[in-house]
Amino acid sequence: MKNDIRLNYPIWMMAFIVLLGVFAYGINSPTREWVNSSTETSLTVKVEALEGFMVFASLLLYIILLTVFLWKVKKHNTENPKQKISIWSIRPPEYLEQDEGMTHITRIAVQKVYTFITWSLPMLATVAILLPLPRLMLIYGILAVAFGQYLVYYLEIRKHLKEETE
Amino acid sequence: MLRNRVKELRARYSYTQSELGKRVDVTRQTIAFIEKGEFSPSITLALKLAQVLETKVDELFWLEGEEEDEK
Repeated sequence: MKNDIRLNYPIWMMAFIVLLGVFAYGINSPTREWVNSSTETSLTVKVEALEGFMVFASLLLYIILLTVFLWKVKKHNTENPKQKISIWSIRPPEYLEQDEGMTHITRIAVQKVYTFITWSLPMLATVAILLPLPRLMLIYGILAVAFGQYLVYYLEIRKHLKEETE
Repeated sequence: MLRNRVKELRARYSYTQSELGKRVDVTRQTIAFIEKGEFSPSITLALKLAQVLETKVDELFWLEGEEEDEK
């Protein structure tokens, strides 16, 4: 069970979110110079070495992680033909619903995530309205909420599925 | 709260949680949740468990506060 991709799915998503955060920093940091005069129209984008490296490294890591993730999904689907995961499904694949006990703990975890979202989204919206936050900070706020929901879900499921001796 | 003797009767038949789970068509984790009292099974599952463990449902499950000595 501990190696079940449905159980580890939130960890994968958290990793993707962190990479997205690094990518967002790299892509939002370059200095831009927009010139629009009677003699010249130009847009100069300067990417510093560190930011450029961050964009490149995060993209590379993203592709590697995505490849491993898709391979694991394929492996899961081969080993569990009755419980296949579709990456295009609207329904989150991390739901554990093999039987009534697993459905029960999924329900508890989803309730906690709902509570988290109920508080965090309005708080983020309020902060964004009241404070003149730069674009990157808003992106990080949204990513933090997304990260948080997976963390809350994972910790709750994990708490119930700690391996016990038989 | 619902109390139960699943662990005790399972041990009597020398079933592991996985084996008992297979017999009643649930995961090992669900048997563990029931034994720990984290989860109250449906009537269907309670009946299946009683059948496999060769006992009556009311001898396998009872409400907290009821006399346990009678079980």
